[in-house]
Amino acid sequence: MKLLSVIIKSLREQIRSFWILILTLSMGPFFILVYFLITESSKPQYNILILNSDTGISGNGKITNHGENLISFFTLSKPDSISTLLIVTEISKRSTGIEKLKSKKADALIIIPGTFSQSLNSRETGDSIAVSNLEFIGDLTNTNYLISAVWANELVNEYALQITKSKRIIEVNETPLGISASISYFDMVVPGLLIVSLIMLMFTASIAFVSEVENKTILRLKLSRLTAFEFLGGIGFVQILVGLVSVAVTLITAILLGFQYEGSLVIMLIIAGLTSMSIIAFSLIIAAVTKSAGEVLVVGNFPMFLFMFFTGAAFPIKSETLFSIAGYPVTLQGLMTPSHAISALNKTLIMNMDIRSIIPEIVSILVLTLLYFIIGAVIFKRRHLRLN
Amino acid sequence: MESTGYILQLFNLTKRFASLVAVNDLSLTIYKNEIFGLLGPNGAGKTTTINMICGLLPPTGGTIKFTGYDVKDYKSLIGYCPQENIFYPKLTCLEQLIFAGQIYGISSKSIKPRALELLEHLGMKEKTNERAARLSGGMKRRLNICLALIHNPEILILDEPEAGLDPQSRILVRNFIKMFGKEKTVILTTHNMDEADRLADRIAIMDYGKLLLLDTPQNLKRTIGEGDILEIVIENGDGDSINKLAEETGSLSVNVVKGSNYLLVKHTNVIQYLPAIKKIAESNGLIISEVKLRENTLEDVFIHLTGRNLRQ
Repeated sequence: MKLLSVIIKSLREQIRSFWILILTLSMGPFFILVYFLITESSKPQYNILILNSDTGISGNGKITNHGENLISFFTLSKPDSISTLLIVTEISKRSTGIEKLKSKKADALIIIPGTFSQSLNSRETGDSIAVSNLEFIGDLTNTNYLISAVWANELVNEYALQITKSKRIIEVNETPLGISASISYFDMVVPGLLIVSLIMLMFTASIAFVSEVENKTILRLKLSRLTAFEFLGGIGFVQILVGLVSVAVTLITAILLGFQYEGSLVIMLIIAGLTSMSIIAFSLIIAAVTKSAGEVLVVGNFPMFLFMFFTGAAFPIKSETLFSIAGYPVTLQGLMTPSHAISALNKTLIMNMDIRSIIPEIVSILVLTLLYFIIGAVIFKRRHLRLN
Repeated sequence: MESTGYILQLFNLTKRFASLVAVNDLSLTIYKNEIFGLLGPNGAGKTTTINMICGLLPPTGGTIKFTGYDVKDYKSLIGYCPQENIFYPKLTCLEQLIFAGQIYGISSKSIKPRALELLEHLGMKEKTNERAARLSGGMKRRLNICLALIHNPEILILDEPEAGLDPQSRILVRNFIKMFGKEKTVILTTHNMDEADRLADRIAIMDYGKLLLLDTPQNLKRTIGEGDILEIVIENGDGDSINKLAEETGSLSVNVVKGSNYLLVKHTNVIQYLPAIKKIAESNGLIISEVKLRENTLEDVFIHLTGRNLRQ
């Protein structure tokens, strides 16, 4: 009953603390959007110009121009994903193409000769010595030209093999490392950003605790029959709700921007719930050492930056293993729960692993949460709940 | 009052903060249905005493006894309205009264009618759904009193209840305290003698943590004798000349208390001595700028006991 009263009161206060709530709920989606824009704008793109001089051939009452067909093949076919990185533009003059290469507006110029169709047709009809010479023009010192030329050459050969119904002498089979073939960099950073949205709870939770001290309403709690558990539990419960809403909003934003996840949403919610609890427990430490919302916004920045940038939440980082417990690496960053939460989310959302595989992470989060809570509760009680 | 029995007893209550003795061996008894005033200057130990009664501060020594109630229930027994307005700024008046009741374990059914009744009694009906942060100073004070009363306590403790109130709120709060004091016990701390005189059935005068005197306001005033007070303000006096004036006036067989630039002269028919006092002043080269004739006040009692003004 009293716990429920604290929950209702805390929920009302949280909703009416409009700006801090908006800040907390918007930070996750904001980071998602920023990373989406960064990954989109940093995707490599190669501009290829094609001058089609092919005169074509006629037969069976129709004219075939393999030069034109090759351009369509460049544009439409998507072998793997690399062809999406090639931007093909057809030009009509060689000089125009050269100018664009010089001004770095294009990476490679391909000139299809006038006999291109004829050569392919000769091959198709059994002339094994017919050769078509395509000209590749570009700055050989420029890496973009080299990549453009390699991929253009691959596409040209692929087209020729299809037309002449030939087979490659050597077939190369590519084996992706891990799940690198199906996920993008954006997909890789989303689990960390889901945790960023929870790290922002540090402010709302700390302020929710400390406002009782700042408004001196903690006196009313001391005068009443409310227990410390009911007080802390009621506020904590509301903050877990805020955390789950924050994760949901962040995940929805990520999905709308193309994030693809594999694993179970239920496991993700379990991880998010546990991480929220750990952040709230840590917030109790911040609330314990501060006396006002203003102090929280100053003091809270330090742990927030540590949690965001040194746990792999904002971006993946390498961490040195200090030692291992039952094969689970213990790192310095491991003292901060987000590092375990991100590891667990990566395993479930990206690697599609089951809950058994994240037991070490869950245990680590629970142990650290308990540790944070004990430290926070002891200091909070000494500084703010003690009779004095 | 005494016939109704006592509700609270303090036995040798002491509180030390390092070398400072804030409350020194305080013993007193408070009866049911009385308005009890703790009077004293700032630092007298009034609030420290109240905090110990409320359980907010552990005593260094002594005992607090609530008669007829289980000591475990003392939190429900007391309604405390601190000097500073303490409320939840983001909650409406009704919301926070309901919350305050719930944390005392009051049933949900009875809280809302009780909250609405209190708001009406304290003239806050129209502010029921107003957020506390938007209330005026006087309204905040009234809300603070409502919060202290929501769980229907047996003892209402008010720390400087009229401090910072506008005249309208002051009258309303004063009437409410009088009404409440007919049914329950009220303990109020104040350094406002007028407030204590008007409201309290009994008054304990404290200074430097010690109880100086405890009685009804009438009896306290009688301790310095019957009669009126003549307050004579000197325009040009220094320490020596005021001392001399006090000494010579005292020879007229009247009670004299001297201040920095004034004399308080007390006698059953003090006005008859005014020409003689004026003559003494003139003979000492002193100019009387103001003369007031008034009845005894609690401040006079305090000055009589301590030799200094309450606000000093």
